Amino acid sequence: MALLSVKNLRIEIKTRAGVAPVIDDLSFDLDAGESLSFVGESGCGKSMTALALMGLLPEGVGSVASGSITFDGEDLTQASEARLRALRGNDISMIFQEPMTSLNPLYTVGEQIAEVLRAHQGLSRKQAWDQAVELLDAVRIPNARARAEDYPFQMSGGQRQRVMIAIALACQPKILIADEPTTALDVTVQAQIFDLLQDMRRQTGSAIILITHDMGAVAEMAERMIVMYAGRKAELGPVDTIIAHPRHPYTAGLISCVPHILSTLTSEREDLVEVPGIVPALQDFGKDLCLFASRCRHAQPKCVNQRPPEIAFGNTHQAACWRAEEL
Amino acid sequence: MSLIDPENTIPEARSPFSEAWEMFRGNTAAMIALVILCLIVLGAIFGPYLYPTDPFDMVWAPFSPPGADGFILGTDYLGRDLLAALIHGARVSIIIGLAAAAVSILIGVTVGALAGFYKGWVEELLMRITEFFQVLPTLLFSMVIVALFGASLPMITFAIGVVSWTAVARITRSEFLRIRELEYVMASRASGATNAKLMFRVILPNALPPIIVQAALMVGSAILFEAGLSFLGLTDPNVVSWGQVIGSNRQYILDASYTVTIPGLAIFITVLCISLVGDGLNDALNPKLRSR
Amino acid sequence: MKAETLLKVENMTVRFAVKRGRGFGKNAHLHAVDDVSFTVKCGETLAIVGESGSGKTTTALAVARLVNSYKGKVLLGDTDLLALGDEDLRQARARVQFIFQDPYSSLNPRLRASDIVREPMDSLGDMSEAEKSERVDFLFNAVGLRPEQQRLFPHQFSGGQRQRIGIARALATQPELIICDEPVSALDVAVQAQILNLLRKLQKDFGLTYLFISHDLGVVQHMCDSIAVMYMGKIVEHGSRLDIFNAPQHPYTRALLSAVPSVDKARRAQTKRILIPGDPPDPVNLPAGCRFANRCPVVQDICRRDEPELRNGVACHFPNAEL
Repeated sequence: MALLSVKNLRIEIKTRAGVAPVIDDLSFDLDAGESLSFVGESGCGKSMTALALMGLLPEGVGSVASGSITFDGEDLTQASEARLRALRGNDISMIFQEPMTSLNPLYTVGEQIAEVLRAHQGLSRKQAWDQAVELLDAVRIPNARARAEDYPFQMSGGQRQRVMIAIALACQPKILIADEPTTALDVTVQAQIFDLLQDMRRQTGSAIILITHDMGAVAEMAERMIVMYAGRKAELGPVDTIIAHPRHPYTAGLISCVPHILSTLTSEREDLVEVPGIVPALQDFGKDLCLFASRCRHAQPKCVNQRPPEIAFGNTHQAACWRAEEL
Repeated sequence: MSLIDPENTIPEARSPFSEAWEMFRGNTAAMIALVILCLIVLGAIFGPYLYPTDPFDMVWAPFSPPGADGFILGTDYLGRDLLAALIHGARVSIIIGLAAAAVSILIGVTVGALAGFYKGWVEELLMRITEFFQVLPTLLFSMVIVALFGASLPMITFAIGVVSWTAVARITRSEFLRIRELEYVMASRASGATNAKLMFRVILPNALPPIIVQAALMVGSAILFEAGLSFLGLTDPNVVSWGQVIGSNRQYILDASYTVTIPGLAIFITVLCISLVGDGLNDALNPKLRSR
Repeated sequence: MKAETLLKVENMTVRFAVKRGRGFGKNAHLHAVDDVSFTVKCGETLAIVGESGSGKTTTALAVARLVNSYKGKVLLGDTDLLALGDEDLRQARARVQFIFQDPYSSLNPRLRASDIVREPMDSLGDMSEAEKSERVDFLFNAVGLRPEQQRLFPHQFSGGQRQRIGIARALATQPELIICDEPVSALDVAVQAQILNLLRKLQKDFGLTYLFISHDLGVVQHMCDSIAVMYMGKIVEHGSRLDIFNAPQHPYTRALLSAVPSVDKARRAQTKRILIPGDPPDPVNLPAGCRFANRCPVVQDICRRDEPELRNGVACHFPNAEL
């Protein structure tokens, strides 16, 4: 049985124009120790999915309208706030995009890690501190015992993100959600963080959900990926399969619109394949049509009349496009 | 069913100000306050023609309570018509409020803009001066000015303006410091804008929202300030204002409380309305509260 | 193909005073750009690549004189931009224009789109109102915006459209050099492609010369003809596009290239990731010798002693060392 199973999840948020489904009929499974990636442009519902898994949807604005999130046999959409609090940071934890603002500036990083351990594992002050130092060492902060006494402002962006990872991994969670963990960091630091995440995953057996807009990062980090578009799942499948042969035109666009560094560069430079236009506005999200149709080169009349079903290719690969089989 | 393309639906061109007005209109309290304020201002402008009784004339017996003997708001200790005082006094109170606010905005924006734009020693110097004015006890200082130079309306206005510009200077400076670093200012500089153009045509219009809010609140506090000075007797005795009415009747507060409470109520309502409008402006002009 | 040199930057240094400690301590200087020289040929694109703190944006701002240089020369044709007085500089600004990173803060929110594009022509040049309007129409069309959109205000556009307005503004005075400071890094991936294609098309159509600042090596690879790699205010490697990407010499360039995640399976298989641990040194208190020494995988004693000069396009004592 899958560790996490999301079934027909629909999340609605209230806007000035009315209620819009930011997540519309999303289903996927995550196995223990697996590495899954969510890809898409901003405003496609990637981060919203992560917040829903954490039970952290913005109160009064967004809520689960239907569907279920089953973690270890327990439906999180029905769980009490107290139960969610116990799960968060313990069984499911999350690291955020902005390492500058996600640490409390008034406490040392050691205290902040120890705090999590004390809250979830009931360790004594001394035990928690020792383990915090061990964790800092594990995320490759040099001279961990001394650096545990540092305040966040004394650390670089990369080091702060390492501290966030240490906090997230403190209780050896079953799932680690990383929401654009390296977007604010330099590429050499990103390489270190990815390397660290891969190592940690191997050591602790945590499943990782990586949310990103960078196909390259997906290719390096994940085994399976879900391409999200306008709150819907456009394509799901093994990373290698999808990159070799994307079935959804949006996936194909995301891959080819980025100038990639290839193994050997030639002086030839073709124009990039454009995906014209932008993601639709929120009030159009729920409509019964393919929301990508206005940007799609392959659009047909059928695409604007009815929402496409998910067409399966083998057991592991699905694409929500009317023409997926031809493409 | 048509294609969904948010980039190619051309909306109507709406300036940030028209959007702010839309927002302001949605704020019921501020709208009510604005209507009342308009009525008060109209009353101040046209009232004296509709109700020409001279507020300095002794028209009836002293201490005639409101409603009695045909005087709606009664008479004061010299038998002068309180309604006439209220109507004629509104002009002075409101003019002093507006003029004093204008003086402090003028000084404050100039000082703040120069300090925020040029930085360096200009900023150091101007901010030290601002701090000097900030630590002066405002009421005492304005009393000294009025006592030294005479209690004429322009001098009172000037006194109030001089003691209350520091807040405007600080707001303007911080807005300038923030906006001058934005890329569109750099873009204007890169396309050859002169310093004067950068300061007044590029940065200042974008710095206006918090200054406008502060200006609105300043009108209210200037009215209160003037009332305070009048209450202490530091006012032109030949001109009637709300504060002056309270001041001249203050000995009779226990015997004929209405002579003090009625002009007090006028000040209270006016200042409250100004505050509510200022609050509404703040919500409407503050981009952080916009849902976008 | 031989093109003549349009921009020649010689030994440019930009430094900022930083206060260290309290009170009247001696002011230290941060050399954001340290003795940097490079050239850009007419009609070509030079990319300056580097990570945060490398000084690439400061270099761009200094070339446009939006930041003051401490010393050096910026020769645009025969004119040294750094030597110009106020009014001459103002006029010279017509020749160098800037495209900014953040399309949300680079447009004045109180102006209509057409006025934003018109602004450089109002400040510089002596076109009549009719000519200006005609040029605004032309520019809107050139950057792919519709004439009806001229009346709108910036907040009514999407990020990509705002960047198009910024590009139209940069083109308004028919500048010889356009400096693009991370022009797509604030945009969504799909929109990035639209803007990059537009920039290339405009370059072809109008023969533009770009100084292109970016941290994204994929984008740089696609856009430029030659590349300067910066680290801590210094150019560590400077060469043609193919040289830098196919045969990088400096260990930092090689680490940088190896760190870029790729969808290309062949490239992933053949690149060994070179991790450079640690952080760059304190920019105010630079160590002697090579600035990359503390993170360099092939560091030797001489690197900690002598600062390498830029020779044959690379500033390293041991270029091409086995990593």
